Amino acid sequence: MSQKRRVSATQSRAPKRSQIVGDDEDDEDMSFTQPTSSQVQRARENFTTVQIDRKTAEVVQFILIKDQKKVPIRRADIVKHVMKEYKPIYQDIMKRVTRTFEQVFGMKLLEIDSKNHIYILVNKIEPVAGEPVSLYPSNPKTGLLFVILSIIFMKGGVVKEALIWNTLKKLRVDPGEKHDDFGDVKKLVTDEFVRQKYVEYVRIPHTEPLEFEFRWGLRAEKEVSKLKLLEFVAQLHDQEPQSWTQQFREATAAESSQ
Amino acid sequence: MSEARRRTSKGGQEESTGQHNGIGGRSRPERTVDTADEDDVGGGPSGIQDEDDDPARRREIRSKYRDLINSVQQNREDMLSPANNKLTDVLEEANKLFANVRQAREAALDAQLLVLATDLGKEKASQLHAEGSAFDPTAFAENLLSFMGLNRLEEEEEDGEEGHSRGYLPQDAWHRLAKKAEFCFKTAPSFHYMLGSFLAEPPPPRQRVERQRKAPNKEEKRIMPTQLKKMEESHQEATEKEVERILGCLQGYFADDPESPISYYEFVIDPTSFSRTVENIFHTSFLIRDGLARIYLDKEKLPCIAPVEEGEVEPGGVTNRQQCVMSISPARWREIIEAFQIKEALIPAPKGISQED
Repeated sequence: MSQKRRVSATQSRAPKRSQIVGDDEDDEDMSFTQPTSSQVQRARENFTTVQIDRKTAEVVQFILIKDQKKVPIRRADIVKHVMKEYKPIYQDIMKRVTRTFEQVFGMKLLEIDSKNHIYILVNKIEPVAGEPVSLYPSNPKTGLLFVILSIIFMKGGVVKEALIWNTLKKLRVDPGEKHDDFGDVKKLVTDEFVRQKYVEYVRIPHTEPLEFEFRWGLRAEKEVSKLKLLEFVAQLHDQEPQSWTQQFREATAAESSQ
Repeated sequence: MSEARRRTSKGGQEESTGQHNGIGGRSRPERTVDTADEDDVGGGPSGIQDEDDDPARRREIRSKYRDLINSVQQNREDMLSPANNKLTDVLEEANKLFANVRQAREAALDAQLLVLATDLGKEKASQLHAEGSAFDPTAFAENLLSFMGLNRLEEEEEDGEEGHSRGYLPQDAWHRLAKKAEFCFKTAPSFHYMLGSFLAEPPPPRQRVERQRKAPNKEEKRIMPTQLKKMEESHQEATEKEVERILGCLQGYFADDPESPISYYEFVIDPTSFSRTVENIFHTSFLIRDGLARIYLDKEKLPCIAPVEEGEVEPGGVTNRQQCVMSISPARWREIIEAFQIKEALIPAPKGISQED
């Protein structure tokens, strides 16, 4: 009822329909998006360049701070906490934000899930071999992630959780015990890594007792180079990466697509 | 081979639905036919009745099957390793056991093991890529341990379980791995303030509020009641003591000279202190209220005070009592001092308080 009213109201107010369709409104019907884009144009006129620049800077800072925990940033949060009344020109501002991250910070802002609209930051600058990646001491969790992601990748993309826990046990990391570097390992892997979208931890249907399996998360797909990972795994085994034909093919394909 | 076993065990399961602990009976001929078809199944024709039904023998077979099933479940991941031949061993062992299986219950266990073995086999097969080498997580773990700087010196003596190498892993093992693994990650460096650091999230204010609210509450609950009690007690005690002291004074003066009346004003007024006077009036009023002293008017209609002797205390004599409210002001106080020519207080100031005035 109220929707109907809204459509007619916006249409009568906006006789000149714009052809630009905001792609962020895909969950709404097309008849709603079109008037929205005309609203966008009107909203653009309402804000000065200085205002838009300032809002852009605010969003950049918000994302930088949010990224400290490496939990993907939700569009809903950006709108709610920073954009507020600038929401109609969300796309405009995000374009500027993306540009700022690329040109000023050397990072890429990626929407990893276009359905739920969540963003992550990845480093655009390739690490130079032999030079430390960052000034900060390395985080042992990266090592743990490497082990888990390697096993999943080398095993063809999906593994049962038992395999992960079993291998970790061999590395003196017992999910049932508190670890010096990782604390509660089970929680770190199945909660923190999952929330950060490094891994997916899903129940296998129709299993008794319950069984779970691991896959690469959306962040891992963007952030981790399969080829470099394979190269390191090969180096550990003292073999050539090409000796794992299938994995090598997938890794090179992923590399060229990015 | 496995086809034959599957058929047999399937037949066994059908039987078991009919009669759980299947003692021969109807199923026997069927079974005999079944095995008679498969010449290669060991054990020969199952004609010997008592051997088939020997409970101890059957129990032994079942227990061996369960052991096998357990060992497969326990060592599943190790058995999956391409280099591991344990699955073959398990199957051979099961074949040996099956030679003596005569009844449905044992056959059902055999079927259960077969399901497990098939599952394992399927997973092992999935590891076999037609091209290239297979990935062995066990070998991967071993190589990782070497990379992380495992000290294997202690290994030789206590090389107990297979696949579990012992040894000492240095403190920085995971850092060492992380440093190398970082090159696979395009993780954006996280944002830090250059001068000192503000935590990204200040401690949630909610907690602070709770703490403030909770802590004093507890304190109050714990301390206030006792404090209140004490104050009441001490106050009451002080008043009581003072009342008793004044009664003592009154009785003392009365005893000195029972004949001459004691003027109320002369008794309560302290010419050096108005506040002491007020206090005396206050305390004396308790004596009157409790019936320990009485006030009466003499010939000149001036109030006099006298202690009530113990025998005189009338328990039910409330009806005779009269009440009055006394007021006194510094001016009136001075007037009375002059009129009665009061030079000194009849009630000496209490020792503790005397210096306050």
